[in-house]
Amino acid sequence: MAHTNGGTIQPETSSALALRDVVKTYDMGTVQVQALRGVSLDIARNEYVSIMGPSGSGKSTLMHVIGCLDVPTSGTYTLEGQMVAEMSENQLAEIRNEQIGFVFQTFNLIPRVSIYQNVELPLVYAGVSRGERRRRTTAAIERVGLADRIKHKPNELSGGQRQRVAIARALVCNPSIILADEPTGNLDSKTGAEIMNILDGLHADGQTIILVTHEDYIAKHALRTVRLMDGMIESDLEAVVS
Amino acid sequence: MRLMRDMVDAFRIALYAMRANKARGTLTTLGIIIGIVAVILTMTAANGLQNTFRQSFSSVGADVIYVSRMPWVIQGDFFLYRNRPQIDLKQADELESRLRGRGIVNPTMDTARDVKYRSETLSGLRIIGTTDKQSMVSSAQPETGRFLTEFDVTYKKNVCVIGTDVRDGLFGSANPLNKSIHIGRARFRVIGVMEKQGGSFLGGPNFDRQIYIPITSYVKAYGGHRGRQGVDVAVKAPSREALEELEFEVMGEMRKIRKLRPAEDDNFSINKLDTLVGAFNNVMGVVLLVGLLVTSISLFVGGVGVMNIMFVSVTERTREIGIRKSIGAKPRSILFQFLFESASICLLGGVIGILVASILTAVINKVLMPASVSFPILFIAVVVSIAVGVVAGLVPAFRGSRLNPIEALRYE
Repeated sequence: MAHTNGGTIQPETSSALALRDVVKTYDMGTVQVQALRGVSLDIARNEYVSIMGPSGSGKSTLMHVIGCLDVPTSGTYTLEGQMVAEMSENQLAEIRNEQIGFVFQTFNLIPRVSIYQNVELPLVYAGVSRGERRRRTTAAIERVGLADRIKHKPNELSGGQRQRVAIARALVCNPSIILADEPTGNLDSKTGAEIMNILDGLHADGQTIILVTHEDYIAKHALRTVRLMDGMIESDLEAVVS
Repeated sequence: MRLMRDMVDAFRIALYAMRANKARGTLTTLGIIIGIVAVILTMTAANGLQNTFRQSFSSVGADVIYVSRMPWVIQGDFFLYRNRPQIDLKQADELESRLRGRGIVNPTMDTARDVKYRSETLSGLRIIGTTDKQSMVSSAQPETGRFLTEFDVTYKKNVCVIGTDVRDGLFGSANPLNKSIHIGRARFRVIGVMEKQGGSFLGGPNFDRQIYIPITSYVKAYGGHRGRQGVDVAVKAPSREALEELEFEVMGEMRKIRKLRPAEDDNFSINKLDTLVGAFNNVMGVVLLVGLLVTSISLFVGGVGVMNIMFVSVTERTREIGIRKSIGAKPRSILFQFLFESASICLLGGVIGILVASILTAVINKVLMPASVSFPILFIAVVVSIAVGVVAGLVPAFRGSRLNPIEALRYE
């Protein structure tokens, strides 16, 4: 019994997410803008994928769809076996809470409240009990090495530290995927490298990571690179693992 | 259960936000503070007036009816009452004998006179000619000395029983008993001091500033005979329950005494405390209503201030709303967050308002009239302030909860 579940590769269930012919059209009054024109993409668990493309290529839109911030105009999106395309706003919120961890270019921490409260917030929305919240929040902050800054506020931290807080917040609900949108865009190269180290470490621990970037040297951290152009996938390449 | 937990968490989040925006929260709260203070003071003042009223007339007695020429509360045309004949002492005596002990009858006459003791003068005191039965009709009893006796009345003794304010004004701390005072031109010997009955009710009678003398001496000294001055007749029922029946009997007997034919209207009035209380309550009801209407306008303005600041708060935190939504906040959570924030601002204002109103009430209690902030009023104040907060926060919070997460995240 045990070996069939654990050992064999099962493509359908091991896929973290699957997009099929996803089209996203924005209605800008008189003109209709097609941001995605039929994107199909499978990402398996524990994959480390970078999504690249120039501005206007649709990578932000793709990220919004994958992150369940937006739903496709047509096509299907399955995340962990759940059909996202037909979900209500409340269901999308739950999916974002449980399955997605966002890491933004501009960190997007809530100012005025402490690091601890920032990291705790997703658990509050998940309805986790107080004691459990404390345990998981502390563990996530320790994972990014900021245990000594737990009571500080975001504006008392450096950019690199803020991004680490954002990663802790993304981690705290044990999401299926971490969605990092230009995570090093606002950082110098040294701190950027530190952040990438943390992401690499998370991948090594089994986390699925999707990295949106336009920097090649950042994209190289990923094991697979998807290039977008004009709302379509231009190339989808596995990195050569040395 | 789920909703309950949402609310608790929303309250927590609201408290963070409140603490983070202290200055603005305080200023916004000011509007609510003023509104709540105004509402509490209006209700407290109305309450205080009612207490004062009750206290002032506590000696009148709820089981006593007063037969007078005029009603206490004149409804309709004053001229209908003007030509009524006076009630005289003879009629009062006749009423007493006709009632045959079914009620205690006590006639009184009163006037205003200056009162002098040595160099001290009190002007315009109420001088009441009464009988020994006064102390049975009214609950007020002498504090020192004694009240008038049947002997004093029968033999037209020039003795008097004075109120506490009269004693304080004429004698200070000296013993007034057996001192001789001038009431108008006549001399009276002080035989007793009435116990304190509470101050005057907004220009109404002050029962501590009056002097009782035997009604016979009154007639002798101030010439109230032959219908030149009317008599008020108090009739005390054996119990409160018997009052209504007594009222009918007195009415019937008075009509016989006055020789009224069946078709004729009464040319006397029967008054009782209830009439006064009823009239007072009517007036107070209107005063309270108008007062609350006016003060609730200030509360409304405070609420508009809160609504305004909540709009600012929602707009200013558009990005925060985007962040919260991206990490899993449902529209409902955002709605609760801002509703709780505005309710908290208003609750804070309400609590501060209660404190301020309590201080002001203590001051009013000291200088103006007996007043106290009662628990129901506080409860109403708390509920009203929370309700104002929720109503004021509703539209801004709803707007915030409906924001598109992507656009909210892009907001600078």
